[in-house]
Amino acid sequence: MPLAAFNSSQPLTLGVELELQLLSTHDYDLAPQAEDLLRVLERHTGAWDVKPEITRSMIEIGTSIQTSHGSLLAELHDLRRQLAEGARKLNIVIAGGGTHPYQHWSEQRIFPAERFHYISELYGYLAKQFTVFGQHVHVGCEDGDKALWLLHALSRYVPHFIALSGSSPFVQGVDTGFDSARLNSVFAFPLSGRAPFVLGWEAFGAYFDKMASTGVVESMKDFYWDIRPKPEYGTIELRVCDTPLSVDRAAALACYLQCVCRYLREERPVEPTEDDYLVYTFNRFQACRFGLEGDIVDPKTKQRQKLRDDILRTLARIDEHALDLKALDASALIRESLFAGNDARALRERRGVVRGLPAVVEWAASRWMG
Amino acid sequence: MLGLALLTILAIVAAEALHRHIRLPRASGHMLVGALASPLALRLLDRTELDPWKPLLDLAIAVLVFELGTRIRPAWLKDNPWFALTCVLEGALAGIVVFGFTLWLGAPPLAAALSATVAMSTSPVITMAVLHESRSRGQVTERLLMMTAINSVMAVFALKVWRVAAAAQGSDLFAAVTSALFVLCGSLLLGAIVALVLELVGRRVRDTSAMPVLQMAMIIAGSMLAVQWTLSPLLVLLVAGMVARTRMRHGLTVEPRLGSAGAALGVVLFLCLGVLMTLDGLVQLWPMVLGILLARLVGKGIAVFALARPSGLGWRQAAGLTIAMQPMSSLAVLLAADTFNWASQLPGVEQSLLQALLAATTLMQVFGPVISTVALRKVARETPLD
Repeated sequence: MPLAAFNSSQPLTLGVELELQLLSTHDYDLAPQAEDLLRVLERHTGAWDVKPEITRSMIEIGTSIQTSHGSLLAELHDLRRQLAEGARKLNIVIAGGGTHPYQHWSEQRIFPAERFHYISELYGYLAKQFTVFGQHVHVGCEDGDKALWLLHALSRYVPHFIALSGSSPFVQGVDTGFDSARLNSVFAFPLSGRAPFVLGWEAFGAYFDKMASTGVVESMKDFYWDIRPKPEYGTIELRVCDTPLSVDRAAALACYLQCVCRYLREERPVEPTEDDYLVYTFNRFQACRFGLEGDIVDPKTKQRQKLRDDILRTLARIDEHALDLKALDASALIRESLFAGNDARALRERRGVVRGLPAVVEWAASRWMG
Repeated sequence: MLGLALLTILAIVAAEALHRHIRLPRASGHMLVGALASPLALRLLDRTELDPWKPLLDLAIAVLVFELGTRIRPAWLKDNPWFALTCVLEGALAGIVVFGFTLWLGAPPLAAALSATVAMSTSPVITMAVLHESRSRGQVTERLLMMTAINSVMAVFALKVWRVAAAAQGSDLFAAVTSALFVLCGSLLLGAIVALVLELVGRRVRDTSAMPVLQMAMIIAGSMLAVQWTLSPLLVLLVAGMVARTRMRHGLTVEPRLGSAGAALGVVLFLCLGVLMTLDGLVQLWPMVLGILLARLVGKGIAVFALARPSGLGWRQAAGLTIAMQPMSSLAVLLAADTFNWASQLPGVEQSLLQALLAATTLMQVFGPVISTVALRKVARETPLD
């Protein structure tokens, strides 16, 4: 199947997807009730969408196309209200967080749909280990060339989003020491990592055709890149964020991305080059492991500084764009969280206060359910 | 005593072999061994020989009922009023349809009412045994737990009302009413007290291996006191489990069957239920037996299917839930009686109807685990083996 044509969309429009955990109210372990929740939400009122995910304890929600923080947040709140209502009806709760702290991957059940069974057959246990929960943000672009330019220009900022959204410190009952342990599961996939450094849509099409001719990929869905183009939507999709514990943070992260994109497009402070990726995996690891305390190396200046400081500087640079995009509330929340810490920190702090991980998960669910 | 102990060992081995070869639920295997040893077949044991074991069996039931109590979240009924209505309606309809059917057969109203009472409840012990073995998780499993708890409580209430009605024909109506109120209020109160004491004492042994032992001790105390004060052990333990879960939240870890001691008690329980089985007169009474079972199925099915969609259940799940609720027991009646020969303690009940009721209960007990497991595995698809 050849690469789809890039559908033009209004630049800087946003779409947010969140993968969410469905939990039993008894032991707060994952509950395989996605089909039930989807049935209950069949007749929801709202332009948003709710879909199944690979295992039966996950669902994915997607907002409609949004232009500003206010409307995005309003839609996310409405979506959360309806989802929480549906979940209560089924005696389950919903939570954010990049991983479930103590679920056993071997007990997860694949959602009965053709694509999920295909992935399960192909990747074996990796598919079940992929019971992790991320936030994906789509940003609209007018054409394929601009999309690829933005995709590579953004690569420098990928660690910001990992560190700000980090909410997966616990895996299989233990503290991994990582702020985003979820991304370690994603890296296990053979087609994960970064997109090849190609700046023109035509050249990208040629790369895709070559890959497709090897039989390794069939569609863009087979690439698990950190940022990937989505030609059908006319967007690029940032996929590195853990699902935050609250919809407020999810909206703030999306709008921070929108502001950074506007800054990059309008001011063009740098031109992306292949060499930008020399420090990419180092920076990404630092963000996953240490969160906001991690280091970041600027690919252009080669200077090393704390991620927290780099985000602070970026916030200062994008301020005007935040004003124009009506995203000042979002950037204020991001600034606040630089000092209060990310969700991984909140989860660890909670663990110090309550007894056992089930109580931590219950707390996380109460934050999401509102 | 030795006979039952040896039989228990045999039951464990036989049930395991049957489970491995034909995937027969272990509880059914235990009951079959009991039935084989009973006067029905090999006559190795007589039913009256089990009377000294009754406190132990009450404890085995209490363990499972307490665990059932800890598994349910009463606030769910508030979150989903349609489901709350389903819970009440399925018990009531099962009772009403069976009442109507037996009345139509010409049974006296009092006897028909007794069969309706027994028909209401789903067996809590079979439900728990099936859930332990199948490790099912999902919406049908959750609903099965809640509905089992509610219809069992309804059966206890109905039996009390029945006793009042039975007494109304005599002269001691006032005594019967006060006794019923005493049993209901007393059971609720004792259950709550057991849970509060467990919470209080539990603080001192939290997160240690003493916790399951303490739970077992509290269940023994609750169960014994309930019997001594002629309260309803079922209600006491169910309330104790629910209150303990609500109060202690994550501080309460309940192992399945409360660990290996509870599991051993479970084997003895199912074995004895097997010994107690009776199919006397099944050859003549089978139309009545079949009628009772069908009436019960229809009653429960109507409620579940009618409210499936508004309460958030799919059709396939509704079918799974209806079938999974069929295991029947005489627990509500049994636990209120002093001996296993409870049938003789019920005045004014026609013998043939009582026989049919006992046979229906027997069938739904021995096949109950199989029916319930198939419903959860094949129809609702909620077990890990799908």
